[in-house]
Amino acid sequence: MISLSSYLVISLFLFLCGITVMIARKNIIAILLGIELILNASALNFVAYSRFGHNNIDGHIMALFIIVIAAAEAAVGLAIAIRYFQNRETIHIDSATQLQS
Amino acid sequence: MEYDISQILPIVLLPFGAFVLNALIVKKIPRVAVFLSCLSIFVSFLFAANIFKDFFFSKYASDFYVHRVFEWFNLNGGNQTFSVKMGIYLDNMSSVMLLMVTGTAFLIHIFSTFYMKEDARYGRFFVYLSLFSSAMLGLVLSDNLLSVFIFWEIMGFCSYSLIGFYFEKEGAGNASLKAFMTTRVGDVFFLFGIIALWTTVGSVSFVDIYSAINDGLLSSNISILIWSFPVVTVAAISIFLGTIGKSAQFPLQVWLPDAMWGPTPCSALIHAATMVAAGVYLSLRMYPLMQAGGLLIPIAYIGAITAFGAATIALIQTDIKAVLAYSTISQLGYMVLGIGVGAYNASFMHLITHAVFKACLFLSAGSIIHSLHDHHTHAHVQEMPRMGGLKKKMPYTFIAMLFCTLAISGVPLFSGFVSKDRILGDALLMATHNNLYIIPALLGFGGAFLTAFYMFRMMFLTFFGEPRDKELFDHVHTEKLKWNQNVPLLILTVFTLGFWYSGSFSGQGLVKVYDAKYEWFQTLIKAPKISEFQNYTSIGMTEKFTSNEIVSSKYEPDEGETEEESHHAHSVHHVGAIISILIAISGILMAWLMYIMKTVNPGWWVTTFTRWYRALQNKYYFDDFYIKGVIQKLLLPLNRTLSFFDMGIFDRYAIDGWAAINRFFYKTSRWFDNVVVDSILVDGTGVSVRFFNVLLRTIQNGKIQFYFIVFIAVLAGYIFSLKPLVN
Repeated sequence: MISLSSYLVISLFLFLCGITVMIARKNIIAILLGIELILNASALNFVAYSRFGHNNIDGHIMALFIIVIAAAEAAVGLAIAIRYFQNRETIHIDSATQLQS
Repeated sequence: MEYDISQILPIVLLPFGAFVLNALIVKKIPRVAVFLSCLSIFVSFLFAANIFKDFFFSKYASDFYVHRVFEWFNLNGGNQTFSVKMGIYLDNMSSVMLLMVTGTAFLIHIFSTFYMKEDARYGRFFVYLSLFSSAMLGLVLSDNLLSVFIFWEIMGFCSYSLIGFYFEKEGAGNASLKAFMTTRVGDVFFLFGIIALWTTVGSVSFVDIYSAINDGLLSSNISILIWSFPVVTVAAISIFLGTIGKSAQFPLQVWLPDAMWGPTPCSALIHAATMVAAGVYLSLRMYPLMQAGGLLIPIAYIGAITAFGAATIALIQTDIKAVLAYSTISQLGYMVLGIGVGAYNASFMHLITHAVFKACLFLSAGSIIHSLHDHHTHAHVQEMPRMGGLKKKMPYTFIAMLFCTLAISGVPLFSGFVSKDRILGDALLMATHNNLYIIPALLGFGGAFLTAFYMFRMMFLTFFGEPRDKELFDHVHTEKLKWNQNVPLLILTVFTLGFWYSGSFSGQGLVKVYDAKYEWFQTLIKAPKISEFQNYTSIGMTEKFTSNEIVSSKYEPDEGETEEESHHAHSVHHVGAIISILIAISGILMAWLMYIMKTVNPGWWVTTFTRWYRALQNKYYFDDFYIKGVIQKLLLPLNRTLSFFDMGIFDRYAIDGWAAINRFFYKTSRWFDNVVVDSILVDGTGVSVRFFNVLLRTIQNGKIQFYFIVFIAVLAGYIFSLKPLVN
């Protein structure tokens, strides 16, 4: 029987990886990847708590929402990255100091 | 005929207005200033003559007066009122005085246009003359001692300015200071007397003082240190000390001879005719006070000593102006003697006659000095040993001076005889009643002899004999009649005749030309009767005088005396008159023997009485006494002590100590200011702002990944901090 803590450990590991990627990498796309990892870690948490907690499907519903939001966020984020690259010919995060082009 | 204030006030205000105007324009247009001065005093003279005319033709009784007051200022504090009233007081005495002052002043103004014409400060001289005339006229019209004091001080200032008129000369500067400081001694006492009267009477108006004396208000005691005196005595002494200072009486006479440093016309106006007479005038006005204060005998002594002592000094003077200066002191002594022996009328008459002939004498001296011009030193000559024989060259001046000299010597028919003889006759009369008066009477007669002698000595040395300085004599131009040189002298000369004043040629009523009622001086001038001022209420300035107020009174020479007394008085007066005549003639004869006939050698007197001669030369050592004794021995140590107290004790301990205390507080507050306020509060604000600035600037650095770190850290913080709440 796999216990809740195993899920949480995996989730924490994913979350830490996501954080690390998000902070350490300068590439916007890599940061977006880090965000995906964090979202996945949270989704895993929801599912795990749902399974071992009250034994209902609220967590699953939340996980579905997170997946949808992650997809939407990835689409918007990549679109911004592309527009940004067109303007600046780079996707380095520290160059993004201005809101206007 | 109604009297209006507008007929009286211009007498004072015109010369004063001329002074104010001239002070502004004198630098630009001195000639206009001079003209204005002369014109203003002339118009004043016309006003004064108009008033005098009314009084003279017996329109008013001898005890008539116009008194109008207005409130100068009024300080009301609770139930205590302090009101100072000013006003004018015009009686017979003022009217005569006004005429004399304006008349002589006008003639002196005219003469000054001749005498001062070459002077660099021609205009300025007239500015002072105008101020002086207005002050003297104001004093005459004053109704109270306070305004008398104000005008008195203005005259003191004018005197100071005019004595020091040639301030380039050191002697003139010193003389002006000396005159100012010496009269100041008297003025301080005068002010003290005013204060004493004010505190007792509550007013310093003449009429209030008279009525207070009448009511016996002044007999209360005033205590000075441990002694206590009646107020009336203290006030009388103080006010008489003012007279002593101003009229150059015995202890304070030292300033007047030095005052001769001023230009001669100003000597005529100030130091002979009017200003020094102001002191006597004040004493006459305060005669009831002097009488009530029991001061008449000391006054008689002071007057007699002054009259005799100054006459002795005049014997050996060689400067023509110095002779006149000492004769002025001497004659003022006679006036004061007259007050002392109760010869109110004669004293005032001598004031008037003396003013006329002394003004004329000084102007004549000025005329002589102006003519004698030393071509080597380019200075005017005043020394009589260098004169002589001027009779031929200056006939008009000679006539004027001869008449005045006859007048001052007391030769019958001349004004000086009339007035001086009345004083001496009264002194003799008092001496027969009271032994204490014998010495003043004797000194008075002795002084009269000396007066005749030294005045004729001056005449003989100046006008008679051979010229002693031939070169100087040859440079003198023969005098022509000039409107501003000789004419004023000759006009004054006319009034040295006795009948103008006495109504009879002899003056003693021995040879009567007219009836006794023409003795206008006797009729008009009377010592104020204090009983008439009881329950007096003052009248406002604007109210007119109507003829209803006149109460005509007749002159009765023997009023209030029994037949025996009056017979005694008459016989004593006759004796006095005869002695006076003999004395005057013998004095003149003595001078004639010494300086014309040369049968008596003046040098013999000098060698025989060397010590006395030296004492006379040193003016009885009065200057030495004052400078070496009073000033150096008394005042200088006192000043040193005071200055030690001031510099050594007060400055060092009180002022420096206070400074040290202040310095301590200043240091403490500087520390507080620097450390607490500046360092901690002011700079601390800045430091804290900078700290948060650095902190917030570091956080908000624009790097999004750093925001993530912060975001996560904050999130972690929330979690850790909220964790205990969950459990």
